[in-house]
Amino acid sequence: MRLGVVASRLAATLAVLVAAMALLFALTLAIPGDPAAAMLGPRATPEATASITRQMGLDQPVPIRLWRFAGLLATGDFGTDIVSGRPIRDMVFEVLPFTLALAGTAIGLALALGFPAGIHAATHPGRISDRLLALVSVAFVAVPNFVVAIGLLLVFSLRLRWLPVQGAGETDDLLDQVRHLALPALAIGLGWIGYIARLVRASLLEVLGQPYIRTARAFGIGGFRLTWKLALRNAAIPTLAALGVGFGRLLGGAVFAEIIFARPGLGTLIFQAIRARNYPVVQAGVFVTVLLFVATNLVVDALFLWLDPRLRAEAERL
Amino acid sequence: MPEPIARRALLQAGVALPFAAWTGVVLAQSRERLVVRIERDIQNLDPAERPGAVEGNVIRALCRNLVAFRRGSFEIENDAARTIRQTDPTTIDFALEPGLVFPGDFGRLTAEDVKFSYERFQLPGPTGRKPAYAEDWAALDHVEVTGELTGRLILKRPSAGLWKNALADVSGAIQSRLAAAKPGRNADIGLVGAGPYVLAEWLPNRRLVLRRNPEFRGEAPAFEEIVLRPVADPTTAILGFEAGELQLTRIEANDRHALAEAKAGKLIDLPSINFVWLGINMAKPPLDDPRVRRAIRLGIDVDEVITAAYDGTVERARAVLAPGMLGYWPDAPAPARDPAAARALLAEAGRTSLRATLTLLDKPAYRNAAEVIQARLGEIGIALDLLPLDDASYWSSGAGASGQALELFLGRFGGKADPGFITQWFLPSQIGSWNWQRWNSPDYAELYARADREGDVEKRAALYVEMQRLMDQSGAFVPLTHETNIYLAAGQLDPAILPNGDDLQYPDFRLG
Repeated sequence: MRLGVVASRLAATLAVLVAAMALLFALTLAIPGDPAAAMLGPRATPEATASITRQMGLDQPVPIRLWRFAGLLATGDFGTDIVSGRPIRDMVFEVLPFTLALAGTAIGLALALGFPAGIHAATHPGRISDRLLALVSVAFVAVPNFVVAIGLLLVFSLRLRWLPVQGAGETDDLLDQVRHLALPALAIGLGWIGYIARLVRASLLEVLGQPYIRTARAFGIGGFRLTWKLALRNAAIPTLAALGVGFGRLLGGAVFAEIIFARPGLGTLIFQAIRARNYPVVQAGVFVTVLLFVATNLVVDALFLWLDPRLRAEAERL
Repeated sequence: MPEPIARRALLQAGVALPFAAWTGVVLAQSRERLVVRIERDIQNLDPAERPGAVEGNVIRALCRNLVAFRRGSFEIENDAARTIRQTDPTTIDFALEPGLVFPGDFGRLTAEDVKFSYERFQLPGPTGRKPAYAEDWAALDHVEVTGELTGRLILKRPSAGLWKNALADVSGAIQSRLAAAKPGRNADIGLVGAGPYVLAEWLPNRRLVLRRNPEFRGEAPAFEEIVLRPVADPTTAILGFEAGELQLTRIEANDRHALAEAKAGKLIDLPSINFVWLGINMAKPPLDDPRVRRAIRLGIDVDEVITAAYDGTVERARAVLAPGMLGYWPDAPAPARDPAAARALLAEAGRTSLRATLTLLDKPAYRNAAEVIQARLGEIGIALDLLPLDDASYWSSGAGASGQALELFLGRFGGKADPGFITQWFLPSQIGSWNWQRWNSPDYAELYARADREGDVEKRAALYVEMQRLMDQSGAFVPLTHETNIYLAAGQLDPAILPNGDDLQYPDFRLG
């Protein structure tokens, strides 16, 4: 893979990052509500309000605020939280692993269950199992995540008492953490299981109809080798693209799971910071989220190039 | 021949037995460990900068005060002070109990710690501004140390509210000055007090653990450990309670009936001392016309509003101070709805119809209240547009230009032990800050200042009644309710909660 390909992808990534943060900055200019009133309530005296305004740099002209904002992001030093006095970087990075675990597990479930389901449906088209899988997949996609979450809680936590309702589990107990992760990951991943299953079925059916597959069959290649080694490699590309975007949506969607299951996470941190108009924390949290999203898509792009030599050649030509 | 066991009975027993066993396990464990829901994680345990009641409750468990509130009451009793006496209007002498120590080798609790803890409220913090709770100690000039365990609070002016707003409350928490001066200590979380509990563990956004202080001098608290778990969503909290993961949680008023029918846990209803009212910006035409304001008051059925908002769980408020508080005005007028009189007043004011905006906090209770108000005022010719706002937007809406444009709003202020706290927000000096009515009454301000200086309880009460009479005469306030606080507690847990409903006394929690 040429360095030029890598460099162009990195440049595109940086452009996305800059555009996203510029949009965020513009939004913070427009959002109503005074941080001092949100933080201090009735104790927001004019003096306290002025002090908090100064600390947040909100009294500065917009170009200076933008410059300071860009500087903080570029150095990775997000400053100190006005309310708690803690470094904002610490606040973000101590909750980040929980969000990554949640989103990663949800994606993992989607792949582990959605892929085999989609492959089975594509290799048994029209059968009863295919029709059942279609019904179940669409149902998974159609039911809102929060309904799934409450339903799972009622059944598995309250009725059966198999899994806990809330929290993230003990730090030094992996099994406990897995138990606490199961329901929230399933709540946000269930829709993706159905979506991946449908996507894999559709793209695999299309690939299985290609002339090279018919040729391979004619040469006596069939079963596992035909499906998994010849067809799936091409059929996986649209699914990977969907997952790349999906990871970003999962990061954003994790906030509701974090609230319903009382889990720590980036989504909750950003949500509470928005409510409190704690702009520095919002900016840091969103920056890290966007960074994760673009990094994920960078990895997905690299996977595309690895999977499909045609894309590699085209990229090198450009 | 024995009667065969019915299948249904067997199934019921099969369900009940594990539940009973589980309940027994929970109760057996609860002497050692109690899990309590908090609505958000703690942020800053500095008594001078604490963001809210969540932190205040922890500080109360970690520290001692010179005086403290009795269990579940706003009555005061000695705490760290062996003796404390107001010798004249601006002097309070105290002598500390001997033998009180801070945990972690920070030595004895002395008068120097009292001086450090109280005087710091008047000093600028690291950011250069005065602490958020500086006003609680505004009357303090300095603390004079007269001996290792004795001292004197010297006030700039008499302040009757100092005892309950500062001394007995969280602002009166005594912390170790040696611990505060220790290099590398995190000022926001490293609070060291001589209270019944110590902060044993804090996992941000997951839990905070209070553990019994082995060096505490006094009656040991009932629970060895109290775990505070942040759970933002009320529904999640109820589910967590039903699953046995929480033993105490506050619930919303509109969940009360469902939970009462389900017989889940024990419901504790506490009438609150907050103040919820319909406020009118009397500086904004046509609301500057007293006839229009009176028409609005007569156009609303307050009982109907609070039934819709709180599902019949609250009483109607007559004035700003709640029953049981010093200065409560039991004879405050509570006019019934009279649409004919309201229309007549509007006609007299030359306003057969008008349009206004009702700003409110976007919460279910307030939305329900606003919709009922909108419907009823619509019947007398006042068309209301509802503007629900999130917390930050709402609490900013009374200040600056948006405050001038404000018309009607649903206000909600939290109460504290002393009536001076909640009544201060309606002073003329608060116009543009928290006096969203923009009610400019020098008489009210004078009465407020007199009440703050008045040492005689009965005279003080009379002054607060007079202040509320002025509020009523302005027509800018339509009192609705003092709200209620409802808690769901497991089994035999007997929580200690102060009358305002937000302040929990963790060391005074009991079983049975």
